[in-house]
Amino acid sequence: MSASVRSLLAVVLAGVLVAVGTTGAVLAWQVRSSDAAENLAVVDADATAEVQSEVAAALTATFTYDFADPAPSEAAADELLAGEAREEYDTLFASLQERAADQELVLSAQVQSVAVKALDEDSAELLVFLDQSSQRAADDEASVSAAQLAVEAERREGAWVITGLEPL
Amino acid sequence: MGTDVEDRVHEGEAAMSEDQAGPAEAEVDAPRRGHGRRDLVIVLAGLLVAGLGLGAWALTERDDTYAMAEERDVVLVEASAAVEALNTLDHRDVPAGIERWREVSTGTLADQLADVGEEEMRLLAEQESISTGEVVDAAVLDLDAETATVLAAVEVTVVDDSDGGSDQPEVKRNRFSAQLEKVDGEWRLASLQQVAVSL
Repeated sequence: MSASVRSLLAVVLAGVLVAVGTTGAVLAWQVRSSDAAENLAVVDADATAEVQSEVAAALTATFTYDFADPAPSEAAADELLAGEAREEYDTLFASLQERAADQELVLSAQVQSVAVKALDEDSAELLVFLDQSSQRAADDEASVSAAQLAVEAERREGAWVITGLEPL
Repeated sequence: MGTDVEDRVHEGEAAMSEDQAGPAEAEVDAPRRGHGRRDLVIVLAGLLVAGLGLGAWALTERDDTYAMAEERDVVLVEASAAVEALNTLDHRDVPAGIERWREVSTGTLADQLADVGEEEMRLLAEQESISTGEVVDAAVLDLDAETATVLAAVEVTVVDDSDGGSDQPEVKRNRFSAQLEKVDGEWRLASLQQVAVSL
């Protein structure tokens, strides 16, 4: 085999190898950078569990209200709600306070289920099934209701804060 | 690299014209050896690129989390379609609706639906209503290779068709927990439970 033929073969072989390597790299990059891969919900069990429990605790604390002692609800809202979620809560809270004292209103909330739709390092979207009960002095029994909420959360200074609340 | 070799080729030609004797052959070998080394370097560089690319691909393929992430998105889509199907029924064609329910179910749920006979279908048809289910929001709660649990917020629109559908449609909001099983590469409903209030 002459030198020039061998050189040509070497270049062709190298070209094929580079093509193979590039294809592998592109395929790997496509999988790793897909929307599915960048969403850590369910896949990262620890991170999923963390946002689930923090958001559940935040909703329980902010949606539990006692006319005789409204301070804890307000404190929870200050700490755990931000942005639009905070504005909505304030609107709700204002109307609540007007009636609360007269009616001796007690609200309690419990998160029934919470699943994570989307999750990355510092933002999350969740679907929450919330149970609420409200009791007024005039009522013998509390009235209960089932709520479905689309929740948005952001990680701020290490803790998850609720930034969006949409009843479904 | 090229110029270095060309220089040596020129040197070789110069040596030949100066001296026709033996040493000239040795001088001609030098560029050939240069070509050989260059070819080797080219091929090795190609091998390196191929190795890196294939390595990245192999590592990605072996990492289960990427496959799981895709499966999570697939189960969400298929679960939503199945939950909508089971909240949808048209009194004008009950058998087709029940058939659709059966298509998307498996296990206990499929067994229950298999028992739906002509009598039940007649009763459903007599209600003269058209129900249409829409999943407003859904998320995967648990997932493994064979089973999954999906939460879904569902809006069911019911049109009373008994007087030609002139009434306002009634909208019901429900929340469901759906258990799914993978059958022949397809996610199917094994059970569909309303999530009741428990305070």
